[in-house]
Amino acid sequence: MLQSLLSPDFFNAILRATTPILFAALASSVASKSGITNMALEGIMLFSALFGVIFSAMTGHWAAGLLLTMVAGGLIGLLLAFFVLNLKTDEILAAIAINLMATGGTVLLMLAVSGDRGSSTSIASVSAPRLVIPVIDKIPFLGQILSGQNLMTWLSILAVVVMHLFLYKTPLGLKIRAVGENKNAAESVGISARKIQYIALILSGLLASMGGFFLSGGYMNMFTKDMSAGKGYIALAASAMGGDTPVGGFLVSLLFGAAQALANMMQLTDIPHELIQMVPYLTTLIGLGIYSYAGLKKRQKLAGK
Amino acid sequence: MMKKVLAMLLASAMVVSMTACGGNSNSDTTEPAAEDGSAEAPAEDAAPAEDADAEVPAASGDTYKAALLLNGTLGDKSFYDSANEGLTRLRDELGADVFDFKVEQMGGTAADESKWEPTLLDYCDSGEYDVIIMGTWQMADPLAKAAEQYPDQKFMFFDEQFDFAGNGDPQNIYNILYKQNEVSYLVGAAAAMMTTDETIEGIDPSTKKIGFLGGMDNAVINDFLKGYEQGAKDVDPEIEVQVSWVGDFVDSTKGKDLALAQYQNGVDVGYNVAGNAGLGQIEAAGDTNLYAFGVDSDQASLLPDYAKNIPTSALKNVGNSLYRAIKMDLDGSLTYGTTEVLGFAEGGVELVKDAHYEEMLPENIRTALDEMEQKIISGEIVVDTAIER
Repeated sequence: MLQSLLSPDFFNAILRATTPILFAALASSVASKSGITNMALEGIMLFSALFGVIFSAMTGHWAAGLLLTMVAGGLIGLLLAFFVLNLKTDEILAAIAINLMATGGTVLLMLAVSGDRGSSTSIASVSAPRLVIPVIDKIPFLGQILSGQNLMTWLSILAVVVMHLFLYKTPLGLKIRAVGENKNAAESVGISARKIQYIALILSGLLASMGGFFLSGGYMNMFTKDMSAGKGYIALAASAMGGDTPVGGFLVSLLFGAAQALANMMQLTDIPHELIQMVPYLTTLIGLGIYSYAGLKKRQKLAGK
Repeated sequence: MMKKVLAMLLASAMVVSMTACGGNSNSDTTEPAAEDGSAEAPAEDAAPAEDADAEVPAASGDTYKAALLLNGTLGDKSFYDSANEGLTRLRDELGADVFDFKVEQMGGTAADESKWEPTLLDYCDSGEYDVIIMGTWQMADPLAKAAEQYPDQKFMFFDEQFDFAGNGDPQNIYNILYKQNEVSYLVGAAAAMMTTDETIEGIDPSTKKIGFLGGMDNAVINDFLKGYEQGAKDVDPEIEVQVSWVGDFVDSTKGKDLALAQYQNGVDVGYNVAGNAGLGQIEAAGDTNLYAFGVDSDQASLLPDYAKNIPTSALKNVGNSLYRAIKMDLDGSLTYGTTEVLGFAEGGVELVKDAHYEEMLPENIRTALDEMEQKIISGEIVVDTAIER
């Protein structure tokens, strides 16, 4: 057991499990920063997982497939924004509609494209490649972790940096945060809150679709029915625990990924699997507890003592 | 305004999810396949059988008519297709004027669930069918209701135990179960023989570990596991079976991670009994160039990219079991009000033994498996079960 935990395989498993959650957590954070909870992440990921397979098979290249998938994900974000901002639908209900639509819609689409219902095995999709870094891959242990990761994993880490810079160092990022902080105040200085929230939700859709693409084009190499399996919701929690910041979301996603990988490894021991399956959720609870305790301390300090 | 939009949105969501499953429903009535005149000949033979079965209510004419109600759709490449195949085979054999059937595809999503019971009751009400066939646990409650309301209507119910005692002991249901433990016994034995056979590519004979990936920890999946473990231990008591549970039947990425952890831990051969999540194990086998047995449908032929990692698949032959039951009903030897559990002896379960299987497994293993199958049929080997029967 201990030996397995110290093997590069375990760290690879952590990064693999972290990647989709991280993309979706970033998606959640940008939406939350603009003042909207994007609960449609789950549906967007599921749609994108199927789009990724279809588009990469159509174009014959994973990168083209990813780009088209991101466009589609952005469009779903736009759709959500249209319902929430223009038609004033409740954001949670609109998101539930999208999530429900994804469950049935993906099967319908898969059936139309391939004639299959359960999985997209007959579609010749192209997955994102693994990135083997020369020289570094010769380093024992570390090389086996740094080299050979799926490109999407690196992209997700890059996205953390980009999103951090975007939200905190660019005028548009500032506007997004301003709208989320206080919509009326932002509008009083001439920012169109609606436009900003549109942009944030489209961005959110883009990021979530990258996570969805990874599910069927890297993690697995095919789409299977309902394969997002709640990852979008876990990402919402990760983002919230990370204070809706990209870096915070990254750290919590990593924690969730580690908990999942640990739980998978622990199934090889004699510990009852019912207990083990609690590990990821227990981690969430404990993490949330620590987070709110720290927040409480901070507020007490600010209150002058 | 907002309410209207919301209603529209929800409605469109429902429509999409419903059409997803009703996609093929235009083929509700399967065309009689035997129209070419070959049908007349056997008609005479079966006519007396029809008379013997005097209890059959309102049978239209002399034709024995069955309705197959699927709480899903054809094209699942598994149970439902198998059921349809078995009935089609019987009709081709007997002729459409002796035996005919209709398939009703009710759809399998949550949105379709509300249709199942009314459809079933409609079919009962029509009185046109000698027997109404359905399966899986989700149909157990609607069936219990229908059986009580229509005591003269006969039903066949497959792949889930019907609670006779708890529903007033209805005498109009024939319940079919499958001995997944028997076919899993062969899979376990095959896996145990493979994991120590250095002639098979990629196998490390020094570790005596085989894997099992289960969906949810329930009685049926445990029945698979029990047979698998027993088969493996009968070959070599030192074999260690590593068991991992996904916790659902859909999370294929988790299935893949669990299986990778097993393979990295010295497992050479696995067995996926986890629905779509099990596809993760097959991909993991592909990534590590190791092996995973298939389940419920012939996964080697369904997944050509991974065929080299799938030695063979364990099947429940729903079609065979319905074919057998209706034939028995026609000659009056079928007892309603009972549950039958079909294993190798009755053709209720099978291990796919095609050219691919012969290519994947060396002859000594195949011979040993054939011998074991014979011993199970003769009763020399009794396979443990996780289900109280």
